[in-house]
Amino acid sequence: MTGLGALLASDYPADLATGMVVNFRIAGVALAFGLALGVPFTLMYLGGRVARRIVAPMVGLMRAAPTFVVMFFLLNIIPKPWTLFGVDLTLPPSMIVALSLVPYAAAYIADNGRAAILGLRAGSQAEALLFLPNLIRAYVVLVMSSSAGVAIGVNEGVAVVLREAERQSTLGEQMVVFAVGVFAFGAVFQVGFAIVRLLMRSLSRRKKAGTAG
Amino acid sequence: MKQVLRAALTALAVLCLGVLSAAAADDTDSPDRALADLLAGARAKIPTQCDSPDAGTLVQVLCSGTLRVGVRGNYPLFSTRVAETEERIGYDTDVGRAIAAKLGVEPEWIYVRAATRISTLAEGGADVVIATMGHNTRRDGEARFIRPHYYSSETIIVGPRDLEIANWDDVRERRVCSTIGNYANSHLVTQGVRLMLFEDAARLPEALNENVCVLAAHDDSFMAYYLGEPAFGDRFERKFGFDQVPWGMAVAQTGTDDFALALELISEIMHRDGEFLALARENGIFTSFLENQQVLWQSPACATVAALTDPACVLPALDATPPATRFAPEVENSVAWMKDNIGFAPELPMLTSVPAFELFMDGIVNSLILVVGALAATLAFSLIFGFFAALPFRASRVVAWGIITTLQSSPVILTLVVAAAVANTIFTYSPAVALGSAIVALGLMNGCNAGQAIGEAADSLRAEGRYGTGFSAALYWAAVRRSLTQLLSFLVNAAKGTPIASFTGAPELLSALTDITSFAAGRVTTYTMVLVFYIAVVFLVVWACERVRAKLEQREARA
Repeated sequence: MTGLGALLASDYPADLATGMVVNFRIAGVALAFGLALGVPFTLMYLGGRVARRIVAPMVGLMRAAPTFVVMFFLLNIIPKPWTLFGVDLTLPPSMIVALSLVPYAAAYIADNGRAAILGLRAGSQAEALLFLPNLIRAYVVLVMSSSAGVAIGVNEGVAVVLREAERQSTLGEQMVVFAVGVFAFGAVFQVGFAIVRLLMRSLSRRKKAGTAG
Repeated sequence: MKQVLRAALTALAVLCLGVLSAAAADDTDSPDRALADLLAGARAKIPTQCDSPDAGTLVQVLCSGTLRVGVRGNYPLFSTRVAETEERIGYDTDVGRAIAAKLGVEPEWIYVRAATRISTLAEGGADVVIATMGHNTRRDGEARFIRPHYYSSETIIVGPRDLEIANWDDVRERRVCSTIGNYANSHLVTQGVRLMLFEDAARLPEALNENVCVLAAHDDSFMAYYLGEPAFGDRFERKFGFDQVPWGMAVAQTGTDDFALALELISEIMHRDGEFLALARENGIFTSFLENQQVLWQSPACATVAALTDPACVLPALDATPPATRFAPEVENSVAWMKDNIGFAPELPMLTSVPAFELFMDGIVNSLILVVGALAATLAFSLIFGFFAALPFRASRVVAWGIITTLQSSPVILTLVVAAAVANTIFTYSPAVALGSAIVALGLMNGCNAGQAIGEAADSLRAEGRYGTGFSAALYWAAVRRSLTQLLSFLVNAAKGTPIASFTGAPELLSALTDITSFAAGRVTTYTMVLVFYIAVVFLVVWACERVRAKLEQREARA
């Protein structure tokens, strides 16, 4: 039986950390693309009625698209290699995962960006600044969601957990492996949300001070 | 005495004549003689017919003095390029060289991939393809295969030495890596194996080495090289094999009557004389098929030209064509009509073969069960978690908080895997168990978040002092109503998460269509279909949630 001590002394923690770096990277790329797409959507939301009528269904569609299916869709429709300006490119699976998260990220940024700008227009700088903790929240959610990449062979955190679990022979041993994985992802999740809460609290104090002033 | 001597001499003469005539008859039916006659006939047309468009491939090859052989670019032991040169080594290229030598021409290597082997022939890019190509009934309609077959392989499952895998029971519900379009995928799928697909076979040993895959399935011919490498062979081994398939050289379907016959005769001779076997041994590939073939083609029954069409001597193509649905002709006609009139038509493999159609229909039904089940489970768990989170007792709140924090901390896919692992320990694996565990996992994850919202709503109601500081049914339902927005959004989230269940073996639509595309064409259509299906399902859930919210708000307004 593999005990927790033996597991922590093995390569598992280091491999898990290496795998989770891939999750962070995927989430970073998805967020960057999400911003690139979401910011114009925000501006269109705040534009005229025509622009709003164009962007609203698009954002609705992006919100409704299940990331996991989008990932398989992209994996199977993007030619390998594909040509951009005469250069042959092959997208690695991790990039496919990042692209599959872009609809969610872009829709989230469009919604929150709109709320932030409306807040700013209403004279509340603090409400506009809420965009920042929401950005961190989106990043944390993207880190968790990027684990879907395990299904297409991306060597990320959950892939490491599942690989280690397959090596164990009993459910009890597997549960120890899973628990370490959940703890690692949980730490990211909880730290991320702790930062969000801190920022929110600080902004809320600022808002109150502004109102009082 | 004289009469006796005369009679004896006469008998001897008759006997000699008989033997000679029999020998002459044998010679005319021998493949060597038939090949010599065929080549002589073709050479007689040179140079007069060299520029004729009606000259067959055999004449064209002899005229040009070059045999254009389609070979794989990088398929260890069969066709690999010698570094920095155009020279190639391996069994396939050695066979190409031997055939060119028997035709009296030089080989020219044409690089082909698995996907371009047949199209290269159809476009006239090569005279013959000798490229690790299995001969199955589906390909028979696309190219002319040369028999007797020059090699044979089977699909093998390769995995770590310390993993006990002996038969199908041991791989059921496991994830096995394979390549897109591999004919063995349909067999793997019907055995309950979950596939992870790669574009290129060369990725399989890499994926095993990098631990991305625990098991991989591919031709033994391909895996033989890697298993022979000490670093790889020390870690991995062949577990078991299935689906033996003969390999065929192939030529174009038109203008190749004489050329195909020449190649068939050469193949027969090479089997009989053990030339294929010798080349296989030189290249270190499996030889049991070639040893059996040599014995067969040396036997009197198969040592003739007539044996080339004798089912007792030549092997049939592997029957890889699944039975067609009763409405397959209508589907094909509609697709053809669209192609002719619109210029575009989707490929619909899920409607044209019985196993694909069954997978497709089961996938739709299971997806709907999964969505409805996940919604019901989310609702149920949110009410349960909400109840404990709303209680004013520290112990119940701490327990609820602990469970909620743990579930929130786990990526969806990991929670689904854990739920499936627990379910498979308690019950024997079945699609129903996979669906059930996915429903529970999705319900737990989304329900705990919604339950937390109910708990927070209860706290806020207490703080407002409308329901006192204790717990009551009125407080609980008021908290549920107050957290309705979160509850509905987590119901939508549960519906969105259902396709992830395919990862743990739930046979929903994404899983079914992935299985179908692993052995049939039409990936773009298929994945577009699954995307549209799930977006429609999510929109439907959003619409239903909005209706529920509107009804509840109306009721509250009336009250």
